[in-house]
Amino acid sequence: MNTSIRNANESGQRIADALLRTTAGTAATLLVPPAAGDGTDAGQLGIDSPQLQQLPLAPAVFRRTRATMQEGEEPRYELLISASAVQQQVSTLQLNSADGLFVMAAGVVVGGGLFQIESWSSSQVLGQACLYRLQLRAAEPQSLTSLT
Amino acid sequence: MQNAKDSFYVALRNRLAVINPARTVTLRAVQRPSIMVEEAEPPQVQLANDIFVLRWRAETVNLQLPSVLTQTTCEIRYATSGSQQNAGLDRGRALTEMDKELLAMLTPLQTQKLNFTQTPAAVMQTFVFWTEPTLSPVEVLRDQLSRTATVTVFAFEEQGE
Repeated sequence: MNTSIRNANESGQRIADALLRTTAGTAATLLVPPAAGDGTDAGQLGIDSPQLQQLPLAPAVFRRTRATMQEGEEPRYELLISASAVQQQVSTLQLNSADGLFVMAAGVVVGGGLFQIESWSSSQVLGQACLYRLQLRAAEPQSLTSLT
Repeated sequence: MQNAKDSFYVALRNRLAVINPARTVTLRAVQRPSIMVEEAEPPQVQLANDIFVLRWRAETVNLQLPSVLTQTTCEIRYATSGSQQNAGLDRGRALTEMDKELLAMLTPLQTQKLNFTQTPAAVMQTFVFWTEPTLSPVEVLRDQLSRTATVTVFAFEEQGE
């Protein structure tokens, strides 16, 4: 067992950010509800627009993880996001953790496409998250007009 | 039928707030009674615990009556893993408590039909009414217990619907 004392620092995050930027780094936009939610009946029934906030997350790497081999099988995608970018948004929204941010997210926009978050995990260095890995599924096409 | 579905949900939500005010959930930054319409919220990967989830299923229309009668099946799904305080060992009791709350929410078996596209919601001329629930056997997935109650909801179509 390694019992040596090593103070946590930001080196892991810096390395992760550098890797994400240099390996075809892109930007993603997380869709989250506004801080003051819509508490009306219409807001809970899908009548009012949810007025989602768009939170930019960069650097990030987006890639397909599963080819569509069978009819009806949905392609899966993976989004690697810098932990420093996630922490910045967590602080801005005054949340307790990145989990709270991903739980409340209504989706992620990458390259103009909407994706739903299936699961997420983090990679850590010295106990600090340096990278978040989101498993994504492409959202079904949505109508451009609202019924209400 | 949309007004009937909306009225059914709001009736159950308001009744739950009275039956068990402590059963709340924060959804999209709003704390509210722990019940939601699945199709009106962001997609969920897993069935969340301690919340009633309404899922609308089969719909039929009866044209043989003076007014058009629509009927829709509503599945109300709920799950629990018990409480942290009891290390989840009270999950059976917690599910029974949710069964009890659901039966109380569904009684009486009717509510006024409202149109929520207007503010305030407009009172319509007919009622929405429903059958007694059919409770499925408990499903066990590791430490999660879940159940689905099925209710058939009826409503007459009114002018302009």
